[in-house]
Amino acid sequence: MTRVPVLTVKCRPQFVFPPFLTPSSNVADSSKRKKKKSPYTADRGMIGAFEGETVTRRALFSGGAAAAGGVATAAFALPALGFAIGPLFSQQNPRTLQDVGPEADFNPQTYVPKVISISTDVGDVGKTTIYVRKFDPARDTDKLNQPYVVVSTRCAHAGCPVRYVQAAQRFICPCHGGVYDFDGKVSGGPPVRPLDRFDSKVVNGRVLVGMRFSLDSDLGRHKPRDPGQHLDGLWQYIYPSRPTT
Amino acid sequence: MNNREKERYLREYSILKSQGKPFFPYAILKDSVMAIITLVVIILMALILGAELGPKADPTTTTYTPRPEWYFFFLFELLRVVKPPALVFLATVGIPTVCMVLLILLPFIDRNPERHPLKRPIATFTGITIIIAMAYLTLEGALAGPPTAIDLKTTAQYERGKNVAASSGCLGCHRIGENGNSGPGPDLTDIGSQLQKEAIARTLINPTAPMPSFSKLRESNPKQFNELVNYLGSLKGE
Amino acid sequence: MKLLPGPLRRRGNKDDDEKKPNGNGNGATTALRRPNAPDETAKEREKEAGRERLKKTAVEVPVAALGWVDERTGGGPFLRGFLFRKVPKGTNWYYTLGSATMFAFLSQAVTGIFLAMYYRPSATEAYASVQHINDEVFLGLLVRGMHKWGATVMVILIFLHMGRTFFFGAYKYPRELNWIIGVVLLILTMVMALTGYLLPFDQRSFWATVVAANITGTGPIMGPYLADFLRGGAEFGATTLSRFYAIHMLLIPGLIAALIGAHLFLVAKLGTTAPPWLKAEKARDLSQEEI
Repeated sequence: MTRVPVLTVKCRPQFVFPPFLTPSSNVADSSKRKKKKSPYTADRGMIGAFEGETVTRRALFSGGAAAAGGVATAAFALPALGFAIGPLFSQQNPRTLQDVGPEADFNPQTYVPKVISISTDVGDVGKTTIYVRKFDPARDTDKLNQPYVVVSTRCAHAGCPVRYVQAAQRFICPCHGGVYDFDGKVSGGPPVRPLDRFDSKVVNGRVLVGMRFSLDSDLGRHKPRDPGQHLDGLWQYIYPSRPTT
Repeated sequence: MNNREKERYLREYSILKSQGKPFFPYAILKDSVMAIITLVVIILMALILGAELGPKADPTTTTYTPRPEWYFFFLFELLRVVKPPALVFLATVGIPTVCMVLLILLPFIDRNPERHPLKRPIATFTGITIIIAMAYLTLEGALAGPPTAIDLKTTAQYERGKNVAASSGCLGCHRIGENGNSGPGPDLTDIGSQLQKEAIARTLINPTAPMPSFSKLRESNPKQFNELVNYLGSLKGE
Repeated sequence: MKLLPGPLRRRGNKDDDEKKPNGNGNGATTALRRPNAPDETAKEREKEAGRERLKKTAVEVPVAALGWVDERTGGGPFLRGFLFRKVPKGTNWYYTLGSATMFAFLSQAVTGIFLAMYYRPSATEAYASVQHINDEVFLGLLVRGMHKWGATVMVILIFLHMGRTFFFGAYKYPRELNWIIGVVLLILTMVMALTGYLLPFDQRSFWATVVAANITGTGPIMGPYLADFLRGGAEFGATTLSRFYAIHMLLIPGLIAALIGAHLFLVAKLGTTAPPWLKAEKARDLSQEEI
């Protein structure tokens, strides 16, 4: 029910009021303003209205056609949309821990490359290289509680494969000039955060590698993010984590 | 453009159009010739340059240098040039999106009724500048090599040292000739004339952070370390 | 023969058919031009007449077929308007860049269809299928090469066409909408290049796509979700290649075809611009009116 507005014609000389909004003349008359519009078409002055009708035939059919069209559109659009967007909300493959070798293979001074699988149904394309070294309590100061430091080769700038250079003890990215130091923290170039790591565990003398996690520049743990997404500074607020990880 | 300018343009255009030639066969002839030239160029390129398939996709590689197709080199080089991490998303999505929006809105930004390139200097200047910038970025992107290859020529005695430098990750932070990154370390193309060999060796052992120390290399392989120092000492620029 | 307009109607030919018994020209001249006429046998004259009838039929049949279609579609006036419209004075070779781009697109479409008959869009089989196209399929290497270099040629041509349009001021009134459609076509072409690039699934394809998907992910707030949408998940998985294949084969070519149609419609309707250095020579009385 629309109330009649109390604008006077003087304020808006060019505005022509539609018939049902014509302001009442001069005096503020409360009883007139509070009169509700009748639901009956007969009272609203519709041509061809009959007694007791509230919705005209035309309105009913128009509305019905619009509703049916909406249902038909939704019937094929929603499943298609869900189909396309669904993977966003699907659970990451709950991977079992992967065995990368006996403890004797690794030491705290250098990184050893190993291959693990991160996507299960694509064959070779689902694998990735990781660099593994033993956690050194003497020099490593992070609070991540990991027995092994397992560094991902996915550069935190745009995802190119970094390589570890033994002579310089640095991870170097071949794409856009990113360089990381021995802990995976950024030491030069455009990468926005340290290299991701993987959970590690020792069972029966074998080293097992688990799921990925991301680090901010103080090596604090975060849910895994895509490359190029900041985890500290002002920009961390514009990159939400995935709903399923 | 106001109505008067619009009408003026339409009048002038209708005169020029009436003085023109019919689309068929004159314009169609030119179009057909151009189409044949296009087809011939495509076929010739296919025959001469071939369609080599590289090695199979391998996500576990640590030696591959990813590069996009040549028409994306200008964006690739933009990512290389924007070094501060805080500005990364500007280079990845900010600048390209802004440019695309400006391009779409061009007819609404430029309302000058003039069409002759010399009579609309701002538009012409901007256009030429952007073309030159994109061409330059594309060229630089094409020349950007992997961080393990030094193209600068050197004499045979320093060849081994050059290989040590290339595989030790120096190009990650330094430039040598056309290769490497221009930061955070200084350009080494001329380092031989700036520092004596002893000073170079000292820097390698006791560098200023964030440069790593190569003392481990000297301990494990002193011969390679000396080759590296000798090579760097030979870099006296061109 | 009303379908053929003035320039194409052969001078004096059709009308003369009705009047003269012989096919060409008037009978008297024919007689004079044929020195053997008195020696000709009836047989030879019959053969000559037969040949004339054949020539007439050869022209009449396709024209009648066109007339049949025109009667049922009413497309004659449209085609005539489209084909015989005037292009402004001074139209030069620069104006062929647009249609050259469209031709490159058609070449890509045709070579793409042939490649699609052999390509297997599975992460484990894609590379092998492309090797098969290269090595074993007849002309496979040529078709694949045409598709690969056709992409380069199309990108070059589209940028040249855009540059020509920009420097000729052809994006101004009344062609603003055409420019907007053109920029959208440019963006779609670059997306085609990006998605198609993944399909051979070699090292270069794979890593270029990984970087491209991650670049999408750096957009604020919506970025991570867009990257996931493109990749079909958090990591490069089985659905990623299929998505790129569907986008490259179905979604974007459809959009490009529709937009090319709109673009051409506007070009035909509004006309191409005259080169900007050309000024119309106005009639004297017109310029008086302007003042």
